[in-house]
Amino acid sequence: MDEASTSASAGATRRAFPPARSGVFYRFTQQNLPAWKPAMTPGCLIAMFLIIGIIFVPFGLLCLQTSNHVAEIIHRYDVDCVPNAYRGNRQAYIKDSSISKNCTLQAKVLEHMRAPIYVYYELENFYQNHRRYVKSRSDKQLRFGAKYTAESCSPVHWDNNGSPIVPCGLIAWSLFNDTYDFTRGSKEIKVNRKNISWKSDREHKFGKDVFPSNFQNGTLIGGGKLDPTVPLSEQENLIVWMRTAALPKFRKLYGVIEDDLHADETINILIGNNYNTYTFGGKKSIVLSTASWLGGKNDFLGHAYIVTGSLSIFISILFALIHVKYPRKNGNG
Amino acid sequence: MKRFVYINDDSCRYSYCDNRISNTKYSLWNFLPKNLWEQFRRFMNQYFLLIACLQLWSRITPVSPATTWGPLIIIFIVSASKEAWDDYNRYLSDKKANERKIWLVKDGIHRQIKAQEIHVGDVVWLHENDEIPCDLVLIGTSDPQGICYVETAALDGETDLKTRIIPTISANLSVEQLGKVKGVVECPNPDNDIRRFDANMRLFLPIIDNEKCPLTINNTLLQSCYLRYTEWACGVAVYTGNETKSGMSRGAAEPKLTAADAIIDKLTIAIFMFQIVVVLVLGYFGNAWKYTQGLKQWYLMYPVEGEAPWYDFSIIPLRFELLCSIMIPISIKVTLDLAKGVYAKFIDWDEQMFDWETNTPAHSANTAISEDLGHVEYILSDKTGTLTENKMILKRCCISGTLYGNDNGDALNDVRLVNAISSNDPDVIKFLLVMALCNTVVPIKSNDDTVSYKAQSQDEEALVNAAANLNMMLISKDSSTAEICFNGSKFRYELLDILEFTSDRKRMSVVVKEGQTGKILLLSKGADEALLPLACPGQQIQKYLEAVEMYSQLGLRTLCLGWHDLKESEYKEWSKNFQEASCSLDNREFKIAEVCHSLERDLHILGFTAIEDCLQDGVPETIKLLRNAGINVWMLTGDKQNTAIQIGLLCNLITSEPNSQLLSISGKTEEDILRSLERALLIMKNTSETKDLAFVLDGWALEVILKHSKESFTRLAMLSKTAICCRMTPLQKAQLVAILKSAGYLTLAIGDGGNDVRMIQEANIGVGISGREGLQAARAADYSIGKFKFLKRLILIHGRYSYNRTAFISQYSFYKSLLICFIQILFAFLSGLSGTSLFNSISLMAYNVFYTSLPVMTIIFDKDISETTVMQYPQILLHSQAGRLLNPTTFCGWFGCSLYHALVIFFITICAYSDEKSEMQELSMVALSGCIWLQAFVVTMDTNSFTYPQILLIWGNFVAFYMINLILSAIPSLQLYTIMFHLCSQPSYWISMALTVAVGMGPVVAFRYFKNLYQPSAINILQQIEQSNGSIQTSGNLESARANLLNLLTGSRKNRDSYYHPLLSDSAESARTD
Repeated sequence: MDEASTSASAGATRRAFPPARSGVFYRFTQQNLPAWKPAMTPGCLIAMFLIIGIIFVPFGLLCLQTSNHVAEIIHRYDVDCVPNAYRGNRQAYIKDSSISKNCTLQAKVLEHMRAPIYVYYELENFYQNHRRYVKSRSDKQLRFGAKYTAESCSPVHWDNNGSPIVPCGLIAWSLFNDTYDFTRGSKEIKVNRKNISWKSDREHKFGKDVFPSNFQNGTLIGGGKLDPTVPLSEQENLIVWMRTAALPKFRKLYGVIEDDLHADETINILIGNNYNTYTFGGKKSIVLSTASWLGGKNDFLGHAYIVTGSLSIFISILFALIHVKYPRKNGNG
Repeated sequence: MKRFVYINDDSCRYSYCDNRISNTKYSLWNFLPKNLWEQFRRFMNQYFLLIACLQLWSRITPVSPATTWGPLIIIFIVSASKEAWDDYNRYLSDKKANERKIWLVKDGIHRQIKAQEIHVGDVVWLHENDEIPCDLVLIGTSDPQGICYVETAALDGETDLKTRIIPTISANLSVEQLGKVKGVVECPNPDNDIRRFDANMRLFLPIIDNEKCPLTINNTLLQSCYLRYTEWACGVAVYTGNETKSGMSRGAAEPKLTAADAIIDKLTIAIFMFQIVVVLVLGYFGNAWKYTQGLKQWYLMYPVEGEAPWYDFSIIPLRFELLCSIMIPISIKVTLDLAKGVYAKFIDWDEQMFDWETNTPAHSANTAISEDLGHVEYILSDKTGTLTENKMILKRCCISGTLYGNDNGDALNDVRLVNAISSNDPDVIKFLLVMALCNTVVPIKSNDDTVSYKAQSQDEEALVNAAANLNMMLISKDSSTAEICFNGSKFRYELLDILEFTSDRKRMSVVVKEGQTGKILLLSKGADEALLPLACPGQQIQKYLEAVEMYSQLGLRTLCLGWHDLKESEYKEWSKNFQEASCSLDNREFKIAEVCHSLERDLHILGFTAIEDCLQDGVPETIKLLRNAGINVWMLTGDKQNTAIQIGLLCNLITSEPNSQLLSISGKTEEDILRSLERALLIMKNTSETKDLAFVLDGWALEVILKHSKESFTRLAMLSKTAICCRMTPLQKAQLVAILKSAGYLTLAIGDGGNDVRMIQEANIGVGISGREGLQAARAADYSIGKFKFLKRLILIHGRYSYNRTAFISQYSFYKSLLICFIQILFAFLSGLSGTSLFNSISLMAYNVFYTSLPVMTIIFDKDISETTVMQYPQILLHSQAGRLLNPTTFCGWFGCSLYHALVIFFITICAYSDEKSEMQELSMVALSGCIWLQAFVVTMDTNSFTYPQILLIWGNFVAFYMINLILSAIPSLQLYTIMFHLCSQPSYWISMALTVAVGMGPVVAFRYFKNLYQPSAINILQQIEQSNGSIQTSGNLESARANLLNLLTGSRKNRDSYYHPLLSDSAESARTD
């Protein structure tokens, strides 16, 4: 073979081999990197499930315990607050502005509630997560003012005169406007309605120099009204409402009671029952609750941990029994 | 259709294109539309474009259009830039070729011009080692005999030198005349046949000569070849630019689709159907909810009846369509392409497939089909050069009935033969003369007066070398004469004609005139069945037949040599016919064969040569391993039956053990053949699986069978694990591949020579051996390897791993897309079926692009069982062959897993984050975190061997998820602002994640464990053996598992619909017993 003829043809398909014959890259090219191969042996697996069980059950008990320590008072009032005469036609009641919407409830405190006590309103069958609803807002307008009124707020973005509505959109328009006042005997219990929203929302999402304008001026009035002299960043009930809930049953913070409530005490709740849930059969409740490191009263995590842990232990025992009864020769075992 | 090329005549030069070569697919202005059009021909891209367009309609889009447009545009840009880059490189290399300087002769003046400026009719002047710029008809060379040498490697991959001769008509032109020559070449329109050029030429100047001179491919210099060992040569440009033979034979091959790709496509369509059903159902209920509930929800402010547009009913279904569009993962194509690229690189890099002898690495030219290697069911192998070394040595011969080389196995050192030569035995001398002259070998004299030979056929080289060793040395040769040195004295022979070898004729002859006596001789050599019928009556054929029989039983290649005296007048008359036939423009090959046949008769048979071709290193082991791996190996060869069977025995293809049987399909008449086919089929059907049955047939039988009884043959082909097909033409090899392919089998064709190219291109996978017969096969092939033995590594290691990895990557891609889609669907039931997206646009986009695409790539490092174990238990390949890791059943498993995980994530999220915590952004991020946690554990669980990159990617990605979201949570303008900070500081978030993982993975792990131990798949068993370093007891397990595996497989082979049996359902019992 002569040199010239081979080199020309060789160039096309032959190439130099990577010269480095050691090192990580070389081992990678040869698919020969050091590898760890864990094995799923019966002992290993039984131990794993057992450990999970041993950790999960006590932890679940701890969660349950924590949740049980949270004191909670729930009162549904949307039915009770309708005068007897209107029981058959609740929508007429709520739509008639001449009827007083005030109503008083009495709640008994069952166990001692340590301050801070959070006051929530709870709505059920209210779809804040509906696509039509959740989209109907303008974050820019909330932050920077009326010139950012956008089509996204449709159908509540311009009033009849064509001037922009601030805050625009269905969410703001349907602002929850029931009011609650608490008295112990004749003495009023103070409800702090400041700092109920996220600090980040107040500072970065709602403008300090954006004031409500043309809000609830149209023919169709949705929910609550806003004081046009207060900037949006201070309208905390609106800020809370604008954090839309992901589920059709949700609670939103109304305020914080900074006094302890003692066991067997009876408190009066004066409710301004203004918000219309009657057309769609929604439920309204008022909730007073303390909080723990896990949040409000929620037994789910505790129960789930206990069940998962018990099942783990059960599975590990089951596997152990099967293994004893039908020993599988795994490897040399 | 013809073209007339007027030499050195400006009047016609512009009627044909100039010599500008263009291999580019696009031009600047058509790149965008053409590339987009090509990309949009794929269903997936059309689907995503439709989704992306629907997303522009803000009324229905649940998320920002960027979620689809972003990835879609990225995918388009990536593949478009790849195309553009390839095309730009092609443009650059074209430009380099086009602007090369070339010497032109015009009216006796030499000028240098750019290659692209050559026009048809120009006379091009070439120097030694020049690349030929366009297709030329040779009219002059520096060689007084008018020959020159070209290297055609770039055209056909053959590395040997080819001789090119100037046509007789221009033989007497002087150098000055060449510069001024005028004439006309009549040639066919451009075609891509690099072996044919049926044209003729007339010259006007300097002599008016009306006689047409025939031109063949031997008178041409084709584009992209190189001129060698010739000081200069000049020729007339006949085809230029992209109209040259090499230009016409270029062309993009159709992309091959792998079996895994086909299943993925089917699954995609199934998911698409499922998606449509989901959309219709959700859409119906969505509209129902709207009219029963939604209109009552005053805060939604639905427009009053009558104001709604006519298409209102379709809004909600379309929203769900968009919401569910993520079911089909947009990234799957990119991910798979990337993974396949890495598989191909692993093949290229593999040092264990590096051939140190020839310095050739394995190479995968086609990066897209690696996983098909793990699926191979039939290997169709060439014999010569593939199974054997193709290093031919004359070992024995039989001259006029005397057998030489029988005692010591080396005829060259047989004393009797040496004696016979020194005693001038006329038959022996004739025999050697045929060996030395009847060939197309080119002797090349080196400086120290030794002669080496370059030959197109290894057999011829062996014969000439053997003759030289026996003192009959071919010293020099040109187009018309050859010089022989015998026992020190030189003899000249005039070479009058060469009757070329074709695969139909199976013989070649030369007509020579002895320089001293002036006697004209016909010397022939060829296959025994081609030559013996032409023998003149009265010879002792029987003796030869016995010798041939014996030689082929030893696995030797035999050639029959013969000669025949010609009378001057007889030759003259024949020569005229031959000339005529050579000049004919149509059907030339057939006419020449006819004429040749008329001369090749009444031959005196001189004897037989027997050439040994040693088996390649490691061939028997490789074939045994591949057969154990359940691959059926067929040998297709041009050799004769006995030789083929012998090689088959030598390389483990067939065994002589009692439980094996070789069924021969042959016969003298067509009826005989068909009857023996039916008989073979009957035997095959009625024998048990354990018996090794093979069939043998030859080219003629195949021809008859294909004509009359193709169905029975297909049935036979499906039943037989081994077959030896001999006397095959290249076309028949390809036909056999096509038959197996049409029966639904995955075929791999391996070969090394030009005669295997058709079969290699026809097969699902073509493997070329870059061997001694040139690179032609290696170029046409999808993979090229240096030695046959590397095939086992290519299939068992690379093919198998690639298949496993692709199976995981594709199914996992669907899993993660379905997971997030199911969560969206579940959320729909809690959001009034209005089509709200739980996840925001950024999360959705990042989920597909970042969070989930990196961990899945780690699987390209994964090895379920080690390479040694695979080689030890090649049966495991049956597992991937049957598609056990990627089929509707396994996919249902993944589907169920993603549904279960979606339920777990969704319910834990909404229960843990209920009431006062049910803020939309937080809840959405909790659900997304759940997906990320679970998918990290799913990848971990499905990884069998952990290497650094894997651990790094899986858990690094996990950390990256939190980093990215913490960063996003710090940007005030985003919806995500502060969300992640809130969550990370809540204990309940972390508690929920731990719960999600425990509930999501616990049952999966338990199920996996249970199956591994009590119903193990073959892979599990091998993994256990590996863990225990292969104790004897468990390999006993494997034996039974193997038997079951084989049963399952053969069962599925009979009825291919029962392909997807549960994994080894009955192996569990046998595994438990010991």
